[in-house]
Amino acid sequence: MPLIHVAQLCKTYQVPEREAGLGAALRSLVRRKTRAVKAVDAISFDIDAGEVVGFLGPNGAGKTTTLKMLSGLLHPTGGAASVLGFQPQRREAAFLRQITLVMGNRNQLQWDIPALDSFELNRTIYALPAAEFRRTRDEYIALMEVGDLVRKPVRNLSLGERMKMELIGALLHRPQVLFLDEPTLGLDVTMQRRLRAFVAEYNRRTGATVLLTSHYMADVEALCKRVLVIHHGRLLYDGGLSGLAERFAAYKTIGVTLDADTAGAVAWDAYGEVVERDGAHVRLRVPKAETARMTAQLLADQPVIDLTVEDPPIEDVIERVFAAGTAEASHA
Amino acid sequence: MRNLLAFYWQTMKTAVIIEFQYATAQYFYMIGMVAEPVIYLVVWTTIAASQGGVVGGYTAGQFAAYYIVWTLVRNMNIVFTPYGWEWRIREGQLSGMLLRPLHPLHMDVAWFAGWKVVVIVLWLPIAAVLALAFRPELNPTPLEMVVFFFSLWGAYLIRTMLLWLLGLITFWTTRVSALYELYFALELLLSGRLVPMGLMPAWVQTASSLLPFKWAFQFPIEALVADLTPAQLLGGLGLQALWILAGLAGVQIVWRAAVRQYSAVGG
Amino acid sequence: MLHIARLTWNFFRIGILNELQYRANFFIQLLQSLIALAVGLVGLSLVFSHTTALGGWSRPELLAVMGVHLMMGGLIRMTIQPNMQRLMGDVREGTLDYALTKPADSQALVSVRQIQLWQGVDVLMGLGVLAVATLQLQAVLSIRVALAFVAALLCGGLMVYAFWLILTTGAFWVIRMEHIVELFDGVYAAGRYPVSLYPDWLRTGLTFLVPVAFAVTVPAEAITGRLTSTTLLQAFGLALALLAVARWFWFFGLRHYAGASA
Repeated sequence: MPLIHVAQLCKTYQVPEREAGLGAALRSLVRRKTRAVKAVDAISFDIDAGEVVGFLGPNGAGKTTTLKMLSGLLHPTGGAASVLGFQPQRREAAFLRQITLVMGNRNQLQWDIPALDSFELNRTIYALPAAEFRRTRDEYIALMEVGDLVRKPVRNLSLGERMKMELIGALLHRPQVLFLDEPTLGLDVTMQRRLRAFVAEYNRRTGATVLLTSHYMADVEALCKRVLVIHHGRLLYDGGLSGLAERFAAYKTIGVTLDADTAGAVAWDAYGEVVERDGAHVRLRVPKAETARMTAQLLADQPVIDLTVEDPPIEDVIERVFAAGTAEASHA
Repeated sequence: MRNLLAFYWQTMKTAVIIEFQYATAQYFYMIGMVAEPVIYLVVWTTIAASQGGVVGGYTAGQFAAYYIVWTLVRNMNIVFTPYGWEWRIREGQLSGMLLRPLHPLHMDVAWFAGWKVVVIVLWLPIAAVLALAFRPELNPTPLEMVVFFFSLWGAYLIRTMLLWLLGLITFWTTRVSALYELYFALELLLSGRLVPMGLMPAWVQTASSLLPFKWAFQFPIEALVADLTPAQLLGGLGLQALWILAGLAGVQIVWRAAVRQYSAVGG
Repeated sequence: MLHIARLTWNFFRIGILNELQYRANFFIQLLQSLIALAVGLVGLSLVFSHTTALGGWSRPELLAVMGVHLMMGGLIRMTIQPNMQRLMGDVREGTLDYALTKPADSQALVSVRQIQLWQGVDVLMGLGVLAVATLQLQAVLSIRVALAFVAALLCGGLMVYAFWLILTTGAFWVIRMEHIVELFDGVYAAGRYPVSLYPDWLRTGLTFLVPVAFAVTVPAEAITGRLTSTTLLQAFGLALALLAVARWFWFFGLRHYAGASA
């Protein structure tokens, strides 16, 4: 049995439909018109213990809804989910003790006191043995390099420092499953890297399972071997990060270097679309299916000094996936 | 059980530290609150004077005692406001509460109980000034003082449950302010906050003793101020306990339904 | 002066248009005002179930006091309080500069920017209560009484405005002033009864520290035939004095504010 098992999971919201005008407002008090919105539409996947999985999708794709269902905050309208053998929506204490949900800009720490005191509060909420708690806490403080900051009132910390504390507080009970929703939102690059390293280290030391959403591909590239791509509530892709490019990128980039004299005279447009041109070095965008043929042709036609074939950057691929998804959905 | 006690202790400690940081702001608030009982007190003292010194069995000094103890009970009555639930839901605080392996009621009870410690300390000078200005007649017996102490916390718990129940309505609709105001108006009239129930018509007194409001307000005051018999004192504590249990049962049921509602529609 | 009047009218118009978008709030306000009125009436009948006069005031006379109290309370919450609360917010957030850079009298500008239209429900309800009270009093409403009442009301309102402006200007020095709203609400409640009821020290406070006496009791005295011309003159003089002090203090505060933020 996988650690997280999701089968045909659905979530439909009833959204009230508002009409303009006082009369309509009064009528809506008596009988409310609603419309069903499918936030999550029959998605299925399994995650094994110790995996770190990235959850990708544009705003409103259903990522947060899925995370909330898996952590027991939302009741699925269809399908089933099991986490650690529990049904999340039953919110049993034994389940809640083993998971954590971190939402980027939601603050669970007490604003007016040092984080250290908030941690103490968490200790009693999760009924952690004192010695074990201290060991864990000090370990995290060292890992995050927050030293004396834990003694400053949280309101005096920077956004990044607060997020570090938030994460420490959320992991004090050493959860086996981490749901991280945009944990690095709004942070600068250094801080993002530090949080990322912490999550990776936590996963390595404890073997915990991590499901993470992020707007920053760097987070996903650094942490996740596997990604789930979701759009309009549907699962579009489940697999390795590199496979994503293979499957969705329609183009590859060929980089060619000729000697300086010949380069000027070549009619590049015959081979592909010129993306970049720098003296004797040219980068061409070529449809994926044509890559092999064009490479051969280039080598046959021109005195090539150097030639490389690359996948486009992952951000571009993702953008394409969503663009395609939107087109698909608008036809449906 | 030991874990729960540790939680209460830690939460109360935290609340005391935080609320003391806002002591000045709280003082403004508490002084503003004193105006209300002073108005009632002045009105009823005037009436008592015009009726030969006594009205409804209360002398001027007894009114003074009633409305001064009133200020402490009123402060003990302040719990998480039903208007706050909308904020809790909107800001995602509720999600945080639901993810913890502990009933959120514990968190509120513990937090506000800690705050009460601060409130009582801040209240003492106010009470002293009021006592100097209005000369209360107060001769409690030791038993009355003991019952008073426990009934204060009983009142606190009853009102916590009542306002929780009221606040949970927010899970179904956010247009609640008129309803809340109606509740507060009924509570004002039936709890002994406006006047001691003895000044009310008989049928209102009967209604009041069958409802929880009086046990969260007038009973603690009377325990100290009036001459209740030991049977009345202990019986009152018993009734408080009953209302706490009833409130707990109500909160359990409604809370479960509220969470089901919340997890159906999301925050 | 004309400029200020036009400014006020424009803000008033925009404020009303804004508020009209939230018409549901009208019904909520109406319900809440009705509940508050009911509680007030119950309180009054409780008092008069035990006595026939309270400190020399009969039941219809106290009803008149209640009417004025409701009306003035509605006026304060409709016009004065929202502006002063916005001003406090602006000082705290540092957004006051926008208002100060406009080519208009700064005091006038910060005093007319906001309006809470639906609080007007209380004003109308207060007028209604007052009408019922005068009917019960069977008083002859001469032009002189009506004029005196309006003059007293105006003086009282201006004094409350000046009082609020002075307090709010304090926000230039003490940033956290939000709680004075609660403090004021608490003290204003004392106006539900004539201030002559209160012990000396309290009456003095309610007259000169917080102008509740002039805002509520004095206009009610006009209706109940208690108002002497001396009191009215006093009210007029005090209103002028308070306004002058408020204006001086406002500019004093502004200078401090400019110095601190530069």
